[in-house]
Amino acid sequence: MNETTITSGRMNLGVDPVLHAWGWEIPLYLFLGGLTAGILFFSAIFYLRGKEDVFRAGIKVAPMWVPPLLAIGLVALMLDLSHKLYFWKLYTTIRWESPMSWGAWTLGIIFPISMAWAATWMKDVFPNWDWKFPIVEKTIELLIKYRRWMAWSLIVLAAILGMYTGILLSAFNARPFWNTSILGPLFLVSGLSTGAAFVMLFSKNEQERKRYSQVDMVLIGVEIFLIIHLFMGFLASTSVHIQAAELFLGGPYTAVFWVFVVGLGLAFPLIVEIMELKGIHIPAKLPAIMVLTGGLILRFIVVDAGQSSRWLYKFME
Amino acid sequence: MKEQKYWSPYVAGVGLGLTLLLAFVLMGRGLGASGAMMRFEVWFMGLFAADHIAANPYFSKYAINPLSNWLVFEVIGVMVGGFISGAMAGRLKFAVGKGPRISNKGRLALAFLGGSIMGFGARLARGCTSGLALTGGATLAVGGWAFMFAVFAGAYATAWFVRRQWI
Repeated sequence: MNETTITSGRMNLGVDPVLHAWGWEIPLYLFLGGLTAGILFFSAIFYLRGKEDVFRAGIKVAPMWVPPLLAIGLVALMLDLSHKLYFWKLYTTIRWESPMSWGAWTLGIIFPISMAWAATWMKDVFPNWDWKFPIVEKTIELLIKYRRWMAWSLIVLAAILGMYTGILLSAFNARPFWNTSILGPLFLVSGLSTGAAFVMLFSKNEQERKRYSQVDMVLIGVEIFLIIHLFMGFLASTSVHIQAAELFLGGPYTAVFWVFVVGLGLAFPLIVEIMELKGIHIPAKLPAIMVLTGGLILRFIVVDAGQSSRWLYKFME
Repeated sequence: MKEQKYWSPYVAGVGLGLTLLLAFVLMGRGLGASGAMMRFEVWFMGLFAADHIAANPYFSKYAINPLSNWLVFEVIGVMVGGFISGAMAGRLKFAVGKGPRISNKGRLALAFLGGSIMGFGARLARGCTSGLALTGGATLAVGGWAFMFAVFAGAYATAWFVRRQWI
């Protein structure tokens, strides 16, 4: 018998020197999770501020996209699991110290609430909509009375969902590039920004587009601030963290990150939105598409770069 | 917003020269355009016919990671800059720039034909007006200057035959 003694997790296949665990599924899920969190967050906030007649796309239409988008994300998450049939075991326990547990429970709660939230707006958006069964009709009429409660819970849950997508990575401290507390707020802000951009894609109301565009500009500003601090934090840390930052400062991820995420996904839409506010004619969909694409590429790059950053050796060219 | 006038070509020319200088200083590389197109084509063809790329002595030089190149990123910047300057001048709309007597379809077909010949010629000459004449010329490379004179000679020699498309 050939016995292999594993004395370190690093001796497992596909862990060292480069982690080969996550492909396209996880970054896609992280993107969709952040996007739906952003849509729900703004839908609930603007509803509570009494804008439901003005901000039609943001409050009523966009949330209807949330259940299908979130479902696609969850399918991607399932595909990534090695033991797909055991996903339900996450729901047999609550572990406060585990971001995975936080995420599973948050998703388990926010998904039905988002469906109910979207259902309460169906008749506003489609006046001829018929729920067919009186019991469904009655239930939704009841839910409409509790919209304020739903909105408040959505705000809290959306913030947790958006934040957890980043914490999920940063809790995995075996990869120096993920080992930073900035990833949580960064993914939350990026998710909110993509959520606002998504609404800008659909909105036909000038006032609504303008407000979402203003919100988006502030979020882009915060995101750039967080990215700068991400790298400042790495560069002020230990040499493995400095090497992780060097993946993006001259290393293999430099061009894609600074061009596609910071340049085309943040700076360019910010400039274009400022120009738009100053009265220059710009197709409103353009900055929205750029922000959404930039957010998707950000997730892919962070997941990919994190897996190739490591403790013992410098990254491979 | 009212459409603004184009810049004076002399001012724009100086601006282009300064851009080229900045590219040398900041990136250590000059400007170019057709190389980016060629790399994009190699990448695109590689998706469907990787064997053909590998077998072709010209393409195979660029087969590994063809899009990871300064020119590709530079051309993305050109598009972004062009978009922003077009928006600032109030010129942001879909239009076909053409002479009064040619149809849109005819203009686009001729532009495609001319562009293809130009692209083919640029690869034969190992560079286009930006990559070879501008960048090469700036380094005082003989090939760059010879190319530039050849471009003007070729243009004067053939413009007469297609001039009716513009007047």
